[in-house]
Amino acid sequence: MPVNLALGHVSNDFLIAAIVIYSLSVVAFAGDFAFGRPRRAETTVRVRQARARAAALATVGAASAAAGGGGSPPVTSPADEALGRVASGPAAGDSMPELAVPALRAIGQAGPWIRTAMTLAAVAVAAHLTAVITRGLAVHRAPWGNMYEFVTALTCVAAIFFLFVMIRYRAWALGVFVMGAVVITLGLAETVIYTAAGQLVPALQSYWLDIHVTAMTLATGIFFVAAVLGVVYLVEDRYARRVAAGRAAPGNGIMSRLPSIEQLDRLTYRTIVFGFPVWTFGVIAGAIWADQAWGRYWGWDPVETWAFITWVLYAAFLHARATAGFRGRRAHYIQLLGFASLMFNILVVQVFITGLHSYAGVS
Amino acid sequence: MTDVRAPEAGPSPAAGQDDRQAAPAGTGRPAGRAYGIADWLKWGWRQLTSMRIALVLLFLLALGTVPGSMLPQEGADPAGVQQYYTSHPALAPLLNHLGLFNVFAAPWFAAIYLLLFASLVGCVVPRTFRLAGSARTLPPRAPRHLTRLPHSAEYGTALPPDQAVEVAAAVLSGHGFRLRRCDAPADGWVSAEKGYLREVGNLLFHLALLGVLVSVALGGLFGYKTDRLLVQGDTFADTASALDEIHLGRLATDADLAPFTITLNHFSASYITSGSQRGQPLSYDAQISYTAHPGGPARTDNLEVNHPLSVDAAKVYLIGHGYAPVFRVTDARGQVVYDAPTPFIAASSGSSGNLLSEGVVKVPDAQPDQLGFSGVFVPTAIDVGGTLESAFPAADYPAVSLIAYAGNLGMDSGPPQSVYALDTAGMRRLTADPQSLLPGQSLKLPGGQGTITFTGYVPWVSLAITHDPGQVPALACGIAALGGLLLSFMVRRRRVFVRARPGGPGSTVQVGGLARTDASGGFEAEFASLAAELRSAHDRAVHAQHEEE
Ligand code: HEM
Repeated sequence: MPVNLALGHVSNDFLIAAIVIYSLSVVAFAGDFAFGRPRRAETTVRVRQARARAAALATVGAASAAAGGGGSPPVTSPADEALGRVASGPAAGDSMPELAVPALRAIGQAGPWIRTAMTLAAVAVAAHLTAVITRGLAVHRAPWGNMYEFVTALTCVAAIFFLFVMIRYRAWALGVFVMGAVVITLGLAETVIYTAAGQLVPALQSYWLDIHVTAMTLATGIFFVAAVLGVVYLVEDRYARRVAAGRAAPGNGIMSRLPSIEQLDRLTYRTIVFGFPVWTFGVIAGAIWADQAWGRYWGWDPVETWAFITWVLYAAFLHARATAGFRGRRAHYIQLLGFASLMFNILVVQVFITGLHSYAGVS
Repeated sequence: MTDVRAPEAGPSPAAGQDDRQAAPAGTGRPAGRAYGIADWLKWGWRQLTSMRIALVLLFLLALGTVPGSMLPQEGADPAGVQQYYTSHPALAPLLNHLGLFNVFAAPWFAAIYLLLFASLVGCVVPRTFRLAGSARTLPPRAPRHLTRLPHSAEYGTALPPDQAVEVAAAVLSGHGFRLRRCDAPADGWVSAEKGYLREVGNLLFHLALLGVLVSVALGGLFGYKTDRLLVQGDTFADTASALDEIHLGRLATDADLAPFTITLNHFSASYITSGSQRGQPLSYDAQISYTAHPGGPARTDNLEVNHPLSVDAAKVYLIGHGYAPVFRVTDARGQVVYDAPTPFIAASSGSSGNLLSEGVVKVPDAQPDQLGFSGVFVPTAIDVGGTLESAFPAADYPAVSLIAYAGNLGMDSGPPQSVYALDTAGMRRLTADPQSLLPGQSLKLPGGQGTITFTGYVPWVSLAITHDPGQVPALACGIAALGGLLLSFMVRRRRVFVRARPGGPGSTVQVGGLARTDASGGFEAEFASLAAELRSAHDRAVHAQHEEE
């Protein structure tokens, strides 16, 4: 079926609109940093209130020590250290006490900047999703058939997933970073690798390809969020170490607004735990497709090789979390390396290194 | 273990034991006496199976695959390797020595993954035993101070301690927890544990990875991959002599080839005809008929990209196509010495060259001199500044351009020749410029050497025939690995303890919870609802007692 050009234009317009609105939301998220009320103190108050309420209601002090504020040292025995296990002690406790407040109310309480930013982000995500869907309708196939479409779709996944994370964990303070990264990536996609709506060569016409690329798109979007969280983690970690060494003043305004380092660590871990099986599935689906198209399920084609490297690095991250001495900072370096290999695959290998994956559609 | 903090919790069978393999690096070395070989071996094995070494090996694996994607590889791209030799004459032999042109078969690469899998076995097998053990042993005793656990709750109830514990045990076992009761009734507590499947998932994942490796090895040993170019109208039997290229697995022989025959009845391709993607292929369709066994019934099938034909444990793939111009050659005596389609090969891959194809015609039977032609076939001819170019990949306006040679083709001596290259060392050129022909046109060779006629063209396809006995096992193991992963991430191993002490009108109940693993979160909510349920169960029990009284 021929490409519906009019619909293709509609898709482009929505994408431009999404970029503009995302940018505005980033401005609003940044505005919260500059002009909003400091949040940690507030959080602690709310923690105390929530705890008092819980104690009064059921005496089920589900969340013991305040998660945000630190407090007593984590319950980690020497044996645990050796066994490479992080005990979920009070400081590292699961509790994110703000969860007691329903999501919408929490947004409302977070101040005008966050309200605006979240609204804009939601509208931008809607426009972005519309752009992806209309592109799919225009070309009569899954709208991730070339590099441009792939990047457009994966940033959409990242934005949706992060919107969910922000609402679920009340992590507004991270909005400026993740949405900022989405804007930059989309902007680059639009200017550097734009490809008009078109049809696919026969090897790419396969529902296993659709399944494979869908999974890879989802996983990449999720890893994208994990990577941004990892960078924020490293920045916060560096700051904490500088404070400990007396080389930075404690109480930095930006740092105090970010989620605690334990929360970031856990959030990153859960994000990757979500993305890793999706990536694994995507690799398996890709192998099934490769088998149908080329007669072998794995041939160490450069693109396959790099997908494997990425998989091994994220597996190494999951291992590192259970290895004494590799938790925390080093684990995050590993996952960032994994994301770097992912980006290298998309931006360098698929475009410049020839292989059977004639996918990029960038010339 | 986190939960074994209370002094009363002495070394119970479960205490101090963990199902996670974790020989701490550097502590396994026997101290204070000379090391024997056995000690060193034990130490080395302990090191190898430690998490730290597993991590290092994973890193090495990732690192080791990198050159395999950056340098041309012999298996996938032999021409690229040749080219690398010409462009880097000093470096290439060194790289070759290090196995960098065949990374995935190099000994050092095998060393990495074999060590990794040795480590995996050394890690997984003990874990399996311990898992089996832990399925039989009880959870540890309840610590004394449950409020110190990451999750805890405390409330009063009118029930006496032993009854309170009884009610709690009923609730917990109703949720599928495995229970451990206090040994003395005065000491009121119950321990509960759940989520053993998480370890099962982790083991399944690692064992399945091992299975994938074994499956790949199986394919490498017993599988094969062959290629055959088939001109429309031709038939071939899947035997070693009829195939163009054969790559047999180490333990496979020619006799393993599936004994089928295939005829290409018709091949068609369609292309995008307008717009910026003009010339890009849309679909290929090869209509074939085949017999699975000699003398078997003939069947027909449409071979398309992504739709291989399965026949007798082998699979036949359509992996390429092109044109075979048909030439008729008469020699100086006026005899027809050649009349056949001759496959020409696309000069550039992808759709950029629009299937401008190159090839040679060798006529060893021509007399008195042998004849040879090298030429170009263009499906849709246009003239660009005097040279023939192709404007579109479909054969809308086909033409050939030929250079003729006469002399000795050199086919009787020396190493076997490629059918796609002409050795002109013993030949003299008959035509100064390439001569273009349209279908039906002839070229008279100078000096009465004969005539060549371009009578038409037929399409050809290239087929890959593969057999990989490891394919299905690899897929099964891949799915098992994924299932194990999901199990391991979604199931959390957790313990809940309940303690009741005399206090107030009845007893004070403490509930403590601990998630040993909680990859996707949610224990906090589970614990809260469990604690609430325990409390209301105690309330109900109190009510029931009042009513009885
Ligand atoms: C082929 C190489 C390997 C890969 C790709 C791999 C991958 C993974 C992945 C993805 C996980 C997280 C999933 C889960 O928790 O179930 C994991 C966990 C684990 N792996 Fe491996 N692994 C490999 C080899 C090994 C080896 C050699 C060991 C032992 C020395 C090992 C021990 C463990 C342990 C103990 C865990 C559980 C960690 C935890 O509880 O968080 N793995 N592995």
